[in-house]
Order: sequence, then C-alpha cells, then structure tokens
Amino acid sequence: MQSRWDIGEPEKPTINKDTEQLKSELLTLNMGPQHPATHGVLRIEIWTDSEVVAHAIPHLGYLHRCMEKHAENLDYRGVIPFVDRLDYLAAMNMEWTYVAAVEKMLGTEVPRRGELIRIMTAELQRIASHLMAFGTYALDLGAFTPFLYAFEEREKILRLFEEVSGARLLYNYIWIGGVWNDWTDEQLARVSAFCDTMEEEAKKYNELVSMNKIFVQRTANVGIFSLQDCFDYGATGPVLRGSGMKWDLRKNAPYSLYSEFDFDVPVGEAELGQVGDCWNRYYVRMKEVIQSIRIIRQVLEKLEPGSVMGKVPKVIKLPKGEVYMRHECPRGELGIHLVSEGDSKQPYRLKVKSPCFTHTSMLPRIAPGQMIADFVASVGSIDIVLGEVDR
Amino acid sequence: MLNVDVNKLAELINKNVPGANATVSVPEDIKKCDSSVTVEASKIYSVVEFLKTNKEMPFNSLQVISGVDWVEWMEVCYMMAHFDLQNPREFILKVKLTDRVNPSVDSIVHHYAAANFQEREVYDMFGIRFNNHPDHRRILCPDDWQGYPLRKDYVAQKDYNGMAVYPDSKMNFEDREFIVRQDMIKKAQEAKAQ
Repeated sequence: MQSRWDIGEPEKPTINKDTEQLKSELLTLNMGPQHPATHGVLRIEIWTDSEVVAHAIPHLGYLHRCMEKHAENLDYRGVIPFVDRLDYLAAMNMEWTYVAAVEKMLGTEVPRRGELIRIMTAELQRIASHLMAFGTYALDLGAFTPFLYAFEEREKILRLFEEVSGARLLYNYIWIGGVWNDWTDEQLARVSAFCDTMEEEAKKYNELVSMNKIFVQRTANVGIFSLQDCFDYGATGPVLRGSGMKWDLRKNAPYSLYSEFDFDVPVGEAELGQVGDCWNRYYVRMKEVIQSIRIIRQVLEKLEPGSVMGKVPKVIKLPKGEVYMRHECPRGELGIHLVSEGDSKQPYRLKVKSPCFTHTSMLPRIAPGQMIADFVASVGSIDIVLGEVDR
Repeated sequence: MLNVDVNKLAELINKNVPGANATVSVPEDIKKCDSSVTVEASKIYSVVEFLKTNKEMPFNSLQVISGVDWVEWMEVCYMMAHFDLQNPREFILKVKLTDRVNPSVDSIVHHYAAANFQEREVYDMFGIRFNNHPDHRRILCPDDWQGYPLRKDYVAQKDYNGMAVYPDSKMNFEDREFIVRQDMIKKAQEAKAQ
C-alpha cells in the first residue's frame, strides 16, 4: 500500500536558462505632466535601470494653443498679446522680437527715447526672468528660501511694469513704432534704486546658493553639453554660453542700439565643476544679471526727453516678402519668421523659433547614464518655459 | 540674413552639388525683406551636407525648420546659422514641394540633430513627410489627431475621442456678431457711395 506521504522520487530541479535569470527589463516612469520639477506641463517618459536613467523621451504639446494659426487670422497689431503668452516670464522680450520683425518690413523709425526704453524694459525683464530661474532652480534642488528672496526683488520689477503697462505678467507694452507709455522721472529713479539693491542682492544670492556646498555637489559636473552638441542641436543663450562659447546676439550681431552699450558677455569659465555642466549654465545667468544692471544704468544716463512713439500708418500692410528676425531673450535666441503675401492686413505665416523647444530636444542627449535626481537638475538648468515650447 | 552673399552661395552650391539647381530669390526692397536660396527638393540631403562640411562658407548650426503653405505648392524653409565670433552667418534655404496630397522630402537629421524635433513639428503642422527620419511621429498635436492644422484648407474635426471640438457653448458669439455687424456697415457704406 502506498503511503500517502510517499510521493515518489523528488523531482530534480532543472534550471530553465531562459526564465530563471534575473529580470533585466527597464522600468518606465512618467515624469510629469504634473510634476513640480518640469516647470509646467512637460511629460518626460524615462526608462530607468534602478536609479539610473537609460533613456528619456520628452512628450510635448500639453500647452499647445496653435498660436501660429491664430496669428494668421489677426491683424499685425492683434498678434502682440498672443506673442506675450509664449514665454510668459519674459513677455517684453517676446513682444520686442515680433515687433522688430514687423518694423523691419514696414521700415518704421523708432524714436531714440522709445528705443532706449525698450532696451531698459527688456533688460529689466531679463533680470526678472533670471531671478525666477534662480529661485525655481534652487526649489528643484530642495532649497526653498532662495525662491522667496528672488520673488522679493522680482516683485519690484513687476510693480514698475504694472505701473507703465497696466499688467503684471502679459504686458502688450511694446507696440509697433515704439512703446505705449512713457516712464516718469520718479519711476526711473526707482529703477536706479533697484539697480543698486539688486547688485547687493546678487552678491547675497551667490553666497547663499551659488557657492553653497550642497548646491555645488548637486549641479557641478552634472549634465554636460559639449560645444559640439550645442551646435548640433542649435542651442543658444545661456546653454551655449554655459558651454564656453562667447556668443551673444547683442554683441556679435547688434540690433537696436546695443552697439552703443558697454557690457561683457559672461561665459561658463568653470570656476567650479567643468564647462558645460549645470552649475556653469546656472552661473552664467547670475553673471548676466550684473551685466543687465550695467546696461540699465547706461540707459538711464542716455535718456533724454522726447517722443516714445514713431509714425505708423493706421492700417498696417506689409510688402510681399519674408523676414527672419532673432533677438537675444533670457532663455536663448527667439526667432520670428514672418511671411507676408503683400497687400494684406494679416500675416500669411508666423513661425516662432523657440529656444526652449530646441533645448528640450537636447534632454534625450544628456539623460542616458544619469541618476534620476541628476536628471531633475539637468531639466531645471536649461530653464524651460512650456508656454514657449508648445506655443 | 547676416553676412551672406546669396548669389555667391548659390554659385557654390551649383558648382559642388550637381543637380541642386540653386536659385536666388531677391525681394523688391532688400532693406525690408530677406532674400533666400531655393534648391531642388530631391537634393536637400547633399546640399545640407555640403553646407555643413565645406571650407569656404560653412554653417555649423540649424536654427529652425519652418513650413509655408502657398496653396499651389508647399515650402520648407531651413534657417541655417553659423556661430562664429568673427564671422557670424545666417540665411534661409528653401525647397519647394509641388505635391500637396503626399508631400515628402529627405530628412537631414543625419547632419543636424536639431532637425529631429523641427521636422516632426513640420510634419505635425503641414503633413510633409521626412524620409529616413528616425522617430517620425506628431509632436504637438495628439497622435490620433486628424488633419494638419497650419494648412490653409484645414478644417478642425468635429469630434475627438467622444469629445466635442469647438462646442457651441464655448464659442464667443460676440466676436461673430461683431464680424457680421462690420460686414453690414461695410455694405451700407458701399451702397451709400454708389
């Protein structure tokens, strides 16, 4: 009788070589669309091998408004508020680029005071934008306090802009032919006072964040773009300068009155880390703030009473042709490709070359081999604004 | 356009790339508008290769690719730039595509990595296919979106995955009424003038 315990010879364990090996599939993680480190609604699909990123795929379009299609149905003045909404943190620079493209095709002369005020607002906006970049970058890396410091100073700029344009973020202030409003002497005095405090504050920020040991360890030698990568991907602005190229449109191909001004072009010099890493990109922005202050001070010296608005026809019609205009914006070079079919009140085609779009396309280049935390630092260091990426 | 003699550049392209047939289009007012160079669409790959690698007038960066729908034909504009402290350059390179139904042109991702996203955007907005593109998908619109928004004959789809596109409840009727009123005023004025 067979005992019920007798189950016969134990089966020899056989190793199936196909199934018994350790699982080595990559794990797919979604960073975003609602993720605090993506500065808006960017979704990055990351394939990770434990903590290490193997591959990153950006998925864009969550903020897509097809602004280029809207522009084809508006008259030339009506496009300006739409251009504001591209990079909402640097709306003045966006407006100016578009307006400059229209003015070039129209052949408008802008009065000297108007042009100087444009330079001043653009540089103030650059400071405000870099302060935002500084604050949010520190926030990405886990430091909350710098964000509040940055907002305190940024608020002063926004107050001034609110007084002259009526809006805090999306101004519609730079018009075809000049600017909408003149600045009063009292406001200019406040700009001057702001420059003094900002210079002191910038030193404080550098002591607090830039040279902070934890911050440096998180950013130095992380996410390196070589100069060849930058050319290959068409990077501009602080990303290109952080990689060691001393290129600035304001200096190398001056537009407006920038050739009259005396300022330096800061580049990544590897004071810490190495050229092209996150820390150098970040530090280029901090140095640019100082240069913008220098430009604003020179504007204040040069300002003389006069008109701020040139003569512009009531109905704007551009000649047949096209123009590609690029300006140095806080995040890189914004390009406006404006096509007119002639004898029409509306643009035939408006294409916006967005620096952030270009920089987002560089993320898959640096992602492989990085830790996830380092990847967050890399995304923050290129300082993207999703309104501009998706348009 | 910056520091580029388009006539000389077109000559260079014609000399070095057989069959490129580069032609220069110069606007009426050269101060106001940019000139551009148009090449054969089938030769764009070798033209861009030549522009990147030649010694005389190299371009080390591609800024942006923009499409224009001229109804009779489609145009793809490549903004080429050269980042150099002494000699910065920039110009517009164009190809013409006459086939509206199934337009396609060779991809240049092999030469400039920047072209990857830019070509995807042109495909998304104009439906121009880029041959040999490594990742040919839509980029800004959803993958299952119908039609190409920046074409001049585009009509938005009514329904997207069960969701109404442009529902009447969200339309701004004041705008429409404004346009209708403007038309009425215009007609009245014309009648008065007659």
